[in-house]
Amino acid sequence: MILGAGGGFMYVKHLQSENEILTLNNAKLNDAVEQQQAVIEQQLRDIETKTEINKQLSENNAKLTADLNLANEKFNKVNASGERRDVGALAVAKPKSIERIEGKREQQRARCFEIAQGSPLTEEELNATKKSQINAECTSIANPNYVPY
Amino acid sequence: MRVEILEVLEGHFGKDKDITVDSHMMDDLGGDEFDIVDVFVQIESKLGISIPEEETFDIMTVSALCEVVDRHVQSD
Repeated sequence: MILGAGGGFMYVKHLQSENEILTLNNAKLNDAVEQQQAVIEQQLRDIETKTEINKQLSENNAKLTADLNLANEKFNKVNASGERRDVGALAVAKPKSIERIEGKREQQRARCFEIAQGSPLTEEELNATKKSQINAECTSIANPNYVPY
Repeated sequence: MRVEILEVLEGHFGKDKDITVDSHMMDDLGGDEFDIVDVFVQIESKLGISIPEEETFDIMTVSALCEVVDRHVQSD
């Protein structure tokens, strides 16, 4: 009887000990699960951020592609005979002329920035109505009275 | 105006354009600075002449273009 009771007591103690270990393990597992959830949430936020960055990159890429197409259209336009102008080839044949044109365009671009930052238009810019008088880099803001023809 | 020059100008800007010696290559014919350089390159090739670049700077009208080309056709 005593032995039976002692055995039962020992069994209960053993169960209590096991239960404590299991409780501790459970707590550790809960901590681990919480940590994993935090990691997963962070990863989800990272994915959202990356998706947003990708979206912005795609938008910028589309704008740059459009600008590049426009620049190609502008620089390598097709003449009346259907021949595409090659500014690169022109620069090889007439380097000083192309450098001079680019220098002028660079000055026009600088003026565009000035105007965009609030610089008032000059009389010359306001009165420009012919193609040879306009700022080819930002005609819409530099020469409001120019009507393309 | 030399026939060769007119051919180049018409080929470049279009036969529908009313090209005269008084035409301005930007204002009347719709070109830009690169077009003018291109026209000079084509004329040089067609006539077998070479025009120093400095002499072509700021040339905008067909009359000025004819003048500089004539000068080199005679001298070359």
